[in-house]
Amino acid sequence: MKPILFLLTLAIGLSSASCRKSASSATATQGDGTSPADKPLVIGVAFETLQTEYWVAGFEAIRADLKQRGWTMLEAVSDGDTNRQLEQVKNFITRRVDGIILVPKDSKTCLPIIKAANAANIPIVLFNRPADKSEARSVAVVADNFALTKETVTYLVSEAEKSGRKHKAALLIGDLGDINAIGRRDGFDAAIKGKESVIEVVARIPTEWSQEKAQSGIVNALQAHPDISFIFTSSDFLFPSIVSALKGAGKYHKIGTPGHVILGGFDGDATAYQMLKEGYLDATGVQDVYFEAKQCIDAILDLRAGKILPELIRDPGFVIHQGNLEAKSAQMWGAQKR
Amino acid sequence: MPSSRPSKETAGLILPGVLFRRALGSDYFVLGLCVIYALAVGPFTPGFFTPENAANLLSTALPLLLVALGQMIVLITGGIDLSVTSIIGLCSVTGAMVMNPESGGLGGDMLTVPAGCIAMLLVGMLVGTANGFAVARCRMPPFIVTLATMMGVGGFAVWLTQSKAINQLPPAFNALGGHTGIALAITALAAGCVQVMLNRSVFGRWLYATGHNPRTAHISGVPVGGVLIAAYACSGMLAALASVFYTGQAETGSPVLGQRILLDVIGAVVIGGTSLSGGRGKVLWTIFGVLFLKLIDNTLNLLSLSIFTLTIVKGAVILLAAVLDAWRIRVAGHPA
Repeated sequence: MKPILFLLTLAIGLSSASCRKSASSATATQGDGTSPADKPLVIGVAFETLQTEYWVAGFEAIRADLKQRGWTMLEAVSDGDTNRQLEQVKNFITRRVDGIILVPKDSKTCLPIIKAANAANIPIVLFNRPADKSEARSVAVVADNFALTKETVTYLVSEAEKSGRKHKAALLIGDLGDINAIGRRDGFDAAIKGKESVIEVVARIPTEWSQEKAQSGIVNALQAHPDISFIFTSSDFLFPSIVSALKGAGKYHKIGTPGHVILGGFDGDATAYQMLKEGYLDATGVQDVYFEAKQCIDAILDLRAGKILPELIRDPGFVIHQGNLEAKSAQMWGAQKR
Repeated sequence: MPSSRPSKETAGLILPGVLFRRALGSDYFVLGLCVIYALAVGPFTPGFFTPENAANLLSTALPLLLVALGQMIVLITGGIDLSVTSIIGLCSVTGAMVMNPESGGLGGDMLTVPAGCIAMLLVGMLVGTANGFAVARCRMPPFIVTLATMMGVGGFAVWLTQSKAINQLPPAFNALGGHTGIALAITALAAGCVQVMLNRSVFGRWLYATGHNPRTAHISGVPVGGVLIAAYACSGMLAALASVFYTGQAETGSPVLGQRILLDVIGAVVIGGTSLSGGRGKVLWTIFGVLFLKLIDNTLNLLSLSIFTLTIVKGAVILLAAVLDAWRIRVAGHPA
């Protein structure tokens, strides 16, 4: 039993060390004496996932921006595991990073992570997903999901109106634990409000940000309502599932040809750009990933300098469609990846 | 008359061989690997030898250890429990629903935290018992039973919350997972109970006997069915206890909590030396297995390696541990 007693003693010693860690971390970051602007910084970047093009683009944009400034980036991806992300951020704190950029899993589970950074006096900025209101202090750089979706869907509705008939619509909803998904759903609903003579929503498909669920959902919807002629997805990364389902139903046609299903999305990824270029996609709301990356890093600098920032820094984004494709594609991150 | 004792030259060859076999067969083999790994990688890993990192390592290892102990009990019987991750998610949302002031209805009552914890443990035990019943009484393969439970229970947890996380949990509950000292005390108590159960009780002997050969165990009078049901119930309850810690750390009940840790759980138990074919496993081995896996995780994270590298390295280490385990059984005749 002696080794067990030794392990137990060691563990108790370590756990008591944890009680002292907050104070020691805070002292180290505050007491270095250098001004924030004159030394290369080390930034911890913790993403919840790299499973879609958008997150990869965001990750790479941050990496490129930090490299350009001559700063060091420490990276961590938690693969959807909240507790692992907390561990990763604590590792950043252990390494005394100068700032943390975080993509949390959702708006609630990130609160202890933000509190840990607060306790260590390390500025923390959330990329694209804001936290719930709480005593935890953070800044989030986020697209105006509601406004941008509303603008995109309003364009799609105006296209639908041109046909002079009523369209049956399907909406692919994201994970409702994600405030961005809620904003996009609400933006869609706001855009079609009062347009009941043009749009009738016959299917609301919960995807939980899963391509498989989107695929089965849209196939089922097309079977139940073969006359669906208007589809909006809350994220462009679900387009391959939609296209596959439409092809299976013989409904994937270019804009202007008979049987075309009006398609709209959100994000502005490479698939959406290709579909726009080939004339299948009507419009998508583009998040400006480069703007968001730059704002995150600038916000860390500002917070280190003691400036008071708003809790939300908005990325206005823009709608790209067949009418402005040439003019706007240079700003679309998905177009840069092709 | 030739001497039966080896000559000095022969002894010089035999001694290292004997020591090597002893090291391979030792209960502390994986602990030795942990020390060697820490000494080899630690100096090149920024922040590794700091009290903060040690505390971080400990706080993340404790809930994993609890789930791994439950998995070990099931593996000793020759089964496997794939449903532990879903049990963690379901218990997390159950506890959160009980303790949340809006959905729970207890509204800050001093019984809120005990009620939430008891509900979580009961749910874990109930799901585990259902698994055990299907394996023992319906004679279904544990892999299929627990796979089906993983899917069903996981889906039920998502449906229950409509995919939404539940927060506003009592601070006293959050402290159970967030305060390393409390978590350590509870984990040590749970590990101690499992240790006593395995080594000092008739039930422990029944578990090993069932894992070695259920038919022989049955003929010898071991109530194999009851032992299996109890083993899965223990696994479910320990997963529920881990859920208390995970939920407390996240300060939120989530149906997808712990969904990605199955590889870590099985990996840690196997690295420790518990046999996938049953009849072999110890608490100490599992502690060392968890420690080794968390050490790898921790150092790779501190080195800021990409998720792709991290996953590949972890997979390779688990594979290596399984190969090494098979080899040490062959070479050293590892004791059961």
